[in-house]
Amino acid sequence: MVMEINVSEMKRVQLFEVIGRVDSTNASELGAALDRAADEGRTSMVLDLSGVDYMSSAGLREMVRVLKRVKRGGGDLRIANPSERVKEVLELAGLDTIFEIYPTQVEAVGSF
Amino acid sequence: MGEVSRLAISAQLEEVRDACDFVVEAAEAANLDERAVYHCQMAVDEALTNIIEHGYQYAGRDSRIEVTTEHQERRFTITIIDDSPAFNPLQHQAPDPTEPLDSRKPGGWGIYFIRKLMDEVEYERVGGHNYLRLIKGIPETEAVPVPAAAAEDTFPVRHLENRSAVISPSGRLDSNTSPMLEKTLSTQLQQGNVWLYVDMSQVEYIASSGLKVLVSAWRRAHDGEGDVVLSGLQPRIVEILEMVGFDMLFQIYPDLDAALAANPSRS
Repeated sequence: MVMEINVSEMKRVQLFEVIGRVDSTNASELGAALDRAADEGRTSMVLDLSGVDYMSSAGLREMVRVLKRVKRGGGDLRIANPSERVKEVLELAGLDTIFEIYPTQVEAVGSF
Repeated sequence: MGEVSRLAISAQLEEVRDACDFVVEAAEAANLDERAVYHCQMAVDEALTNIIEHGYQYAGRDSRIEVTTEHQERRFTITIIDDSPAFNPLQHQAPDPTEPLDSRKPGGWGIYFIRKLMDEVEYERVGGHNYLRLIKGIPETEAVPVPAAAAEDTFPVRHLENRSAVISPSGRLDSNTSPMLEKTLSTQLQQGNVWLYVDMSQVEYIASSGLKVLVSAWRRAHDGEGDVVLSGLQPRIVEILEMVGFDMLFQIYPDLDAALAANPSRS
């Protein structure tokens, strides 16, 4: 197992804790997990990336796609605790201005 | 001519991870720092993914892609060679990171990242093959200060009865700090302490160099009828151990107390 996604609900926010490596072989699984929540109308989402040691652009692509989707429904996808490396990649892509990024899961959930 | 390594993979996404591991190992051996190693990994991942998804989209699954790494004094060069249709990524229109969400397309970032993450990128079409060279410079200062000093130090050790010791490494176990762990464990083994309880709760990251040290200590401990017992591993380190199958090798416990309690009859 290379990537694991734990989904839970905290104060009516969907929390996705991702652990492992997100790349082109499994980014669609991440997108599908987020889509399932969006399908049910749960569009306030926090993606906890503290356990992600590596993310390629395939993962970013899914995140941007879902962000656009939930924003249309009045929701948001917010990021908690990305590693230095993942944060650097988010910044390189200019995604740090598009996603709200919080240092901890609690702050990200509390921001809704 | 520097140190050269070569790997061939099939043009399938499932094989990209092997190429990433190969490049990470070579980059670590070339003494690139952790950040530069990550950049190399990502650039190779993005480049291979592009080649497989676009270059070989209509081809059979038997096409091969060759990845070569070369370490020269101040440069680490990754060369990717494939025989898909000619494609020069340097002529590709890069996306604009300042673009707002509404007008942003989800993809197109792979080549952008490759160019941002690496110091130089070169493309050539020779004899029906694409040659993509990804180059990372190695800063001048790196060879001298920290690692030599680190090798002198050891991680904290607490001796217990019955040829046992608790070792408490901390921080990142990468090519800079693994020699320190190696020295700590070797010293204990030489003193006949073959039950090594490695408390990993303060370890944030382990690279292949750190895994090698643990496995080599495990072998020596077993030769002396002892064992290496790991405890307090963070989830992402468990992942790394599972990926390489080392979770089958080591005794692993949630914390040090559980590790000690589980081995009461050591003698």
